[in-house]
Amino acid sequence: MGLSSLDKIIALQRNPANIRNLCILAHVDHGKTTLADCLVATNGIISSRLAGKLRYLDSREDEQIRGITMKSSAISLHYRNGDQEYLLNLIDSPGHVDFSSEVSTAVRLCDGAIVVVDAVEGVCPQTQAVLRQAWLENIRPVLVINKIDRLIVELKLTSQEAYAHLQKILEQVNAVTGTLFTSKVLKERAEEDEEEEEKKKDSKTLSGDQVYDWSARLEEADDSQLYFSPDQGNVVFASATDGWGFSIQQFAQIYSQKMGIKAEVLLKTLWGDFYLNAKAKKIMKGAQAKGKKQLFVQLVLDNIWSLYDAVVTRRDKEKVEKVVTSLGVKLLARDLRHSDPKVLLSAICSQWLPVSQAVLLMVCEKLPSPLEIAAARVEKLMSVGARRFDSLPEQTQELKRAFLQCSSGANDPLIVFVSKMFAVDTKALPQNRQRPLTHEEMAQRRDLARQRHADSRAADHKGPTHSERTPQEAGDTLNLRSSDMDGCVCQMESLTLKDSKPEEEEEHQTFIAFARVFSGVAKKGQRVFVLGPKYDPAQALSCVSEVPHLSCCTMESLYLLMGRELEELEEVPVGNVLGIGGLEVSVLKSATLSTSPACPPFIPLNFEATPIVRVAIEPKHPSEMPKLVRGMRLLNQADPCAEVLIQETGEHVLVTAGEVHLQRCLDDLRDRFAKIEISASKPIIPFRETVVRPPKVDMVNEDLGKQHKIAIIHQVKEGRSSATLHVDSGGLVTLTTPNRLATVSIRAMPLPQEVTSLLERSAELIRTLEQINMSLREGKSLDISHRTLEAIIGLKTQLEILLQGRKWRNAVDRVWAFGPRRIGPNILLNSVEGYQRPSVWQCLGRVVKAGEAGAQVIRDLDNSIVSGFQLATLAGPMCEEPLMGVCFSVEKWDIQSPASPQHQDSLEEDSIAHGTLEDSKVEGSSETLEEGATAGPIQARRRPEAASADCYGPVSGQLIAAMKEACRHAFQAQPQRLMVAMYTCEIMATADVLGRVYGVLGKREGRVLHEEMKEGTDMFIIKAVLPVAESFGFADEFRKKTSGLASPQLVFSHWEVISSDPYWVPTTEEEYLHFGEKADSANQSLKYMNAVRRRKGLYVEEKIVEHAEKQRTLGKNK
Amino acid sequence: MSIFTPTNQIRLTNVAVVRMKKGGKRFEIACYKNKVVNWRAGAEKELDEVLQTHSVFVNVSKGQVAKKDDLTKSFGTDDLTAICKEILAKGELQVSDKERHSQLETMFRDIATIVAEKCVNPETKRPYTVNLIEGAMKDIHYSVKPNKSSKQQALEVIRQLKESMEIQRAHMRLRFVLPAKEAKRLKEKLKPLLQVVESEDFDEQLEMVCLVDPGCFREIDELIRCETRGRGSLEVLSLKDVEEGDEKF
Repeated sequence: MGLSSLDKIIALQRNPANIRNLCILAHVDHGKTTLADCLVATNGIISSRLAGKLRYLDSREDEQIRGITMKSSAISLHYRNGDQEYLLNLIDSPGHVDFSSEVSTAVRLCDGAIVVVDAVEGVCPQTQAVLRQAWLENIRPVLVINKIDRLIVELKLTSQEAYAHLQKILEQVNAVTGTLFTSKVLKERAEEDEEEEEKKKDSKTLSGDQVYDWSARLEEADDSQLYFSPDQGNVVFASATDGWGFSIQQFAQIYSQKMGIKAEVLLKTLWGDFYLNAKAKKIMKGAQAKGKKQLFVQLVLDNIWSLYDAVVTRRDKEKVEKVVTSLGVKLLARDLRHSDPKVLLSAICSQWLPVSQAVLLMVCEKLPSPLEIAAARVEKLMSVGARRFDSLPEQTQELKRAFLQCSSGANDPLIVFVSKMFAVDTKALPQNRQRPLTHEEMAQRRDLARQRHADSRAADHKGPTHSERTPQEAGDTLNLRSSDMDGCVCQMESLTLKDSKPEEEEEHQTFIAFARVFSGVAKKGQRVFVLGPKYDPAQALSCVSEVPHLSCCTMESLYLLMGRELEELEEVPVGNVLGIGGLEVSVLKSATLSTSPACPPFIPLNFEATPIVRVAIEPKHPSEMPKLVRGMRLLNQADPCAEVLIQETGEHVLVTAGEVHLQRCLDDLRDRFAKIEISASKPIIPFRETVVRPPKVDMVNEDLGKQHKIAIIHQVKEGRSSATLHVDSGGLVTLTTPNRLATVSIRAMPLPQEVTSLLERSAELIRTLEQINMSLREGKSLDISHRTLEAIIGLKTQLEILLQGRKWRNAVDRVWAFGPRRIGPNILLNSVEGYQRPSVWQCLGRVVKAGEAGAQVIRDLDNSIVSGFQLATLAGPMCEEPLMGVCFSVEKWDIQSPASPQHQDSLEEDSIAHGTLEDSKVEGSSETLEEGATAGPIQARRRPEAASADCYGPVSGQLIAAMKEACRHAFQAQPQRLMVAMYTCEIMATADVLGRVYGVLGKREGRVLHEEMKEGTDMFIIKAVLPVAESFGFADEFRKKTSGLASPQLVFSHWEVISSDPYWVPTTEEEYLHFGEKADSANQSLKYMNAVRRRKGLYVEEKIVEHAEKQRTLGKNK
Repeated sequence: MSIFTPTNQIRLTNVAVVRMKKGGKRFEIACYKNKVVNWRAGAEKELDEVLQTHSVFVNVSKGQVAKKDDLTKSFGTDDLTAICKEILAKGELQVSDKERHSQLETMFRDIATIVAEKCVNPETKRPYTVNLIEGAMKDIHYSVKPNKSSKQQALEVIRQLKESMEIQRAHMRLRFVLPAKEAKRLKEKLKPLLQVVESEDFDEQLEMVCLVDPGCFREIDELIRCETRGRGSLEVLSLKDVEEGDEKF
């Protein structure tokens, strides 16, 4: 593009009335980029011959290879219509569902949209989606029905059939718009009703004359402007590949001259059920009823059909010539002789009915200029969240005026919205690009170069002979005149440039903001406020000091976006799309920039598809980790939809909208941002382990008799009891330390589900509680705020309410600790007789009754018990995953003190008779209780244990291990279950794919909670839950099975117990009958458990070879 | 005996021999390959899937069956199945290829899991994933030794990995309270063992919160216990000092 047109564009930018900001939206492969090509070709940026093949706006390599657009890119075009000159800021958007976030970014910046629909395929899922998006953003769409040539060439429809087909498509599109409209009206109505309802409640006057209005107000609402209709001029029929397109107006004008009918009449009758009565020279209604050809068919389609017939199908040279002369088109001989009829066709068509002309005309006439921005849209953009526009501060409301006027005066506030950040090679920036030199510069450089040359000559050979010198100089001058030398000089210059900026070479990517000026003039180097999405203008106006979500930055450079190229600008007036450099630090993905702090941030972009495909990313070489992290940060900024996070497990997780999007993100990471080899894998799925109450029924829903119980006990006893371990039938586990000095008895119990979730919710509170307790134990007093204390009391009472029944009597007061990490959803309960340990609630006790604290003391090694419990809850016995919702009750804890206690303790004999066990090694044990000799501060102290430090190591360590083992065995003595993380899955689906939605959900162990129909549409909203473990590849399968008509959204919701027992084997007769001896049918929890165990390298009870006989029986070397 | 020719040479394939010496005699049984270890672990419950035949041999490859007298003399019974079970349980066997392979693989994973659990990236204080550790172990060509415990090997691996990547054992967070008298002296002794001192509070007693390498824990424990004669206390605040929660970029 020449410089002259850049100047032109700059000039045009100042006249907002003649600016059109528009984007091209459509389903994938409906010809957006091809259409964009045709429009770009009008400005001479690409050859019109290549239009449709080049796909100029698909600048990425993978876009060209895959043939789909992956990002939205903008280009500014200049269009002259009569005496009016227009500036079109055209944004091409991707059609693939994975990139619908890019569509959102494009739509936000535009005032109008060209919706492209394939004439053969009709309305597709993404067409619906983009129409919805355009609707939600309040931008006006126009329709282009593309690929009409396919109706002729591929489907071989007659013109009459084609007309019917086109009509059908138009109806489909209008139906989608209609549903959007009705749903909006219904929603508004519901809101109004609610308000009225509230009003009624407020007034509390129940008048008798209540009027029920069921008209739904649909009739009242005006929707005439909404629909697409050729006679309204907002529909263009086109074939972008062949380069033709037309609107009704064009034909109306042609025929009004030819036939002498008024253009207005033709305009109204050219589309619709009208026919031409040749005798009466009248246009009559009811073509279909009378079996006549519609006017549209007769005057428009037939012409095109005959052209295709002549050129493509029959290749009738004479006829072509006839057509050409009648159309008044001049053809090049080269095109006429070309063997491919398509070339000839496009040569004729592009002169007869150029698509760009039709589309651009429609755009300029039908789409609004920035001046006509709707007040409703402004209000919607500016009212964040649920806040009404009226509730915003006054200064902010005043901004609306500036907005609506779209004025670019000097004192108008600047408002810019950045919809995305995109990465550009630093080398491609105009500052760093080699630009053609002006003549003066050339001359200057020539002199310089000559000088340098001469100098170096002089330096090299101190006394060069004259005869040598002159020819060289002559040669120099000769060379310099040719352009080659200029190239050389340029290269030299660029080399020196490179040398001077080595740091810049390091940073290969520069981020440029994709933005639009909504008010004021953006100037290079201007300082602006960056408003985060949560920024509240009221806050900024009320106080001057630190305001959250507000920062300052400088717009270092402004660019005109020309597809893959950028042109630097000094200033950009209102209503234009632009690129802004130098914001990468202050803007992450999108932001609102303004010079006025009163400006509210715009509402966040409305994404059709939320990211749901999760993968874990790792560098091939572990040492490249920092590079990966940096790359992922860049990727996060460059992609509006991708999410990047580091999980607690240390995984780097990338969340994308779909498989294609994922592929693009990985390519970007590999080639642009991180520049290392990476591998993506299934992310690690967390599980939890828990115990449940013994089931009452077996797997075939038979009541469990005694028979089964015996089986369980048998299983437990087998191989578990050893010299130091004993498990009794009630699930009480008694374990002695290896040195036979300490014994603990523990029982595991399931916690009620509500308790578990309560504990999970109040993890933070428990953490504070733990801290308070710790300082209390040290004898220090911590200032506890009243609120915290109240919260703790609240938690305690809630627990008391939830833990009812005989089993849990006084349980809350006896809570010893929480785990794992002291804050988890498991409880250690102190049920030791004669051990009055202060509970975790001691901070409350201190306030309520301070006197009693002295009587409660902590035993030695109390810490070891807690540590053992923490370890046990951190990794359960099933697959070393954390426990959840388990209560360990310590029933006995005896320590035989070593032979010579050095301190005077009151020894309390406490002999325990283990009547049930014969092989118990523990006959009796003494319990040491440290008397409150130093009463007052409660303190845990470590005693010298020199005597007990035997071959087994220190007692504390042994006790930790024993406690941990005891907990694990107690856990195993109960029916164990696995808990899986669940996603709630919200699915929007049309009625016809509902069955397949259920199929996919069922296959992946999902469960549908409820479904309902969205009012005013044919969409169903289904809510289901789905295990996280089954979600890998879910979105992809879903889209494939439903042809993209249903889109799921996944959000983590809760943990759920899998009802099946991973260790289950058939035990009762019925179960044998039903499942057979081996229980071959898949056990879901066993599958999960084994997968985790295998991943962790734990022993998996699996046969290496299933059938011994079926092994390869030959030796290896034969 | 006939001449040993290729036609009458019968090769025993798919046979794993389990041998046992009892009563001065050697007994063998013929089992299927890759099954004996499973049987011992309890994964295989079908005896016929393990044994080729229920007979007990003196030499499997020669096909010499043990005499009944010898069996009763050595085992005290002539129930062949019972004897087979005993030999299966106690006899010595050669581990077959797949068994060895799966054993080594399991161990490799186990080691990687232990390393991943114990270590963090010192820059981010976040753990590495098991996959990454496995890759790194392959990069340094670590070979698993089947007769050493996985924990021991894991410690060895950590040492070796430190040379090629940023890795460090996750620190333990300890808190100890020392009586004022010994505090100064003890602190000097403890100093080389502590990695980071997070807080230090000296009024009546010295209270310190610090990060230590888990390897030094026992040493510190011992030191405090002996030196202060039970008046100092040591508390483990967290076993692993890692970043908690997810972080979004």
